[in-house]
Amino acid sequence: MARPRGGSLRPRGPQLIAPAGARLVYGSLALAFLLGLLPWPEGWRWLVPDFTFLVLLYWNIHSPHRAGLGLAFVLGLLTDVARGVLFGLHALVYVAAAFAALTVRRRLENFLPPGQALQLAPLFLGKELAVLLLGFALGQKAIDWWYLAAGPMAAMLWLPVCLLLHRLGGRPPAGPAAAEGK
Amino acid sequence: MFVRVMGLPVRFALYILASLALMGVDARYDALGLLRTGVAAVLHPVQVGLARPFHYLQDALDFFAVHGQLVHEKQRLEATQRALMQQLHDRAWLAAENAHLRGLLGLAIPPGYTGHGVEVVQAMANPFTRKVVVDRGSLQGLTAGWPAVDASGLVGQVTRVYPASSEITLITSREQDIPVQVVRNGLRLIVSGTGQDRLLEVRFLDMHADLQPGDELVTSGLDGVYPAGIPVARVVAVEPPRHTPFARAVCAPVAGVGRHRQMLILQRETPAAAPTARPAGRQAAPTGGPSS
Repeated sequence: MARPRGGSLRPRGPQLIAPAGARLVYGSLALAFLLGLLPWPEGWRWLVPDFTFLVLLYWNIHSPHRAGLGLAFVLGLLTDVARGVLFGLHALVYVAAAFAALTVRRRLENFLPPGQALQLAPLFLGKELAVLLLGFALGQKAIDWWYLAAGPMAAMLWLPVCLLLHRLGGRPPAGPAAAEGK
Repeated sequence: MFVRVMGLPVRFALYILASLALMGVDARYDALGLLRTGVAAVLHPVQVGLARPFHYLQDALDFFAVHGQLVHEKQRLEATQRALMQQLHDRAWLAAENAHLRGLLGLAIPPGYTGHGVEVVQAMANPFTRKVVVDRGSLQGLTAGWPAVDASGLVGQVTRVYPASSEITLITSREQDIPVQVVRNGLRLIVSGTGQDRLLEVRFLDMHADLQPGDELVTSGLDGVYPAGIPVARVVAVEPPRHTPFARAVCAPVAGVGRHRQMLILQRETPAAAPTARPAGRQAAPTGGPSS
């Protein structure tokens, strides 16, 4: 990582961070997707957060040139097949969430991970709600509302995911805001 | 090239339109089956591979289980096995006798069924329908629509078939309806899922119908999908009509729906054309005329 040395010449602005490599972005997304495919206990399936979505949002915010709407769309289609729901349902929700995340990412980057988790919590909950409501609108009568619990779970997981991916991506563990000494 | 030129909102709108179109096409027509099959064919081996270590772990934990527990389990299983074998023999014998009698009567033989043993790979995270994925698919000859049973009764129905895996919708799913018959008096009913694991219901029950708690419901075989006589549920309670002209009966499924890793998928043994041809020839010899 190219970090400027020498105290006097050191730039005063936010610390420069090398963009995340393609291998890290796609590798972490693939791992998250596989994590969702694990045979989770059936009785607790509703509590398992959507890992793919979590990592997708992370990269939307921290590496938008790699993870944009197209990636969200493709991942949504894969999730549709893995969960056996209508084609395009998760794609729609992922794209909408990615759009929201891309729109507010500049603001979010100035917060520490806990603050980000709080601000993203409505997005996580909204995603689960949107999936259920879309299914309802498309004629599914029996809806298991417990699946909403996956939203808050994802928000709670934001912090560990941030810490892990910050470390892997060569960012300071607490995010750029802390590095500036705020 | 020009995608880069478009702004974020435009691309967003395009992707949203694409998703909506996909959903519309998938909901109305079955056009995307091939695409889904392709993706599932790639995903399925991954799922199986991921599930395997957990199965091994489970097996290892089972291995280290208390000895007495194992002995007890073994005795219980042996008893069940004996009972099942007995039933199997009875069934085979009855089937043979039945075929013989029906042959004598000159009636069409009701098609026999063969079983495909399958193992549940994964319970799908689908908030709308209760589904499981099993490890056999169209390569093993499975077709959508076949019933799935376990040792004690009906479990579900194959609803989607991929090359090496299939989705089974459990009978406790809300959209799953099964035509049944009461063993005690032959009353025909339709049992539906409720979305809850240990609960089925008869939704529109005649308020004067002779149905009591404890009655056993078996498939009637009238739909041509489920073979007749598979145990489905036991009536728990009959609720009198409240705001509707219909009563409602609450039932408990007989099979361990969603609790076993193995189940059996029933395949109709012969295509519909063959059995009608065979008895027709046999029928001509003894009776000859329009006996039935």
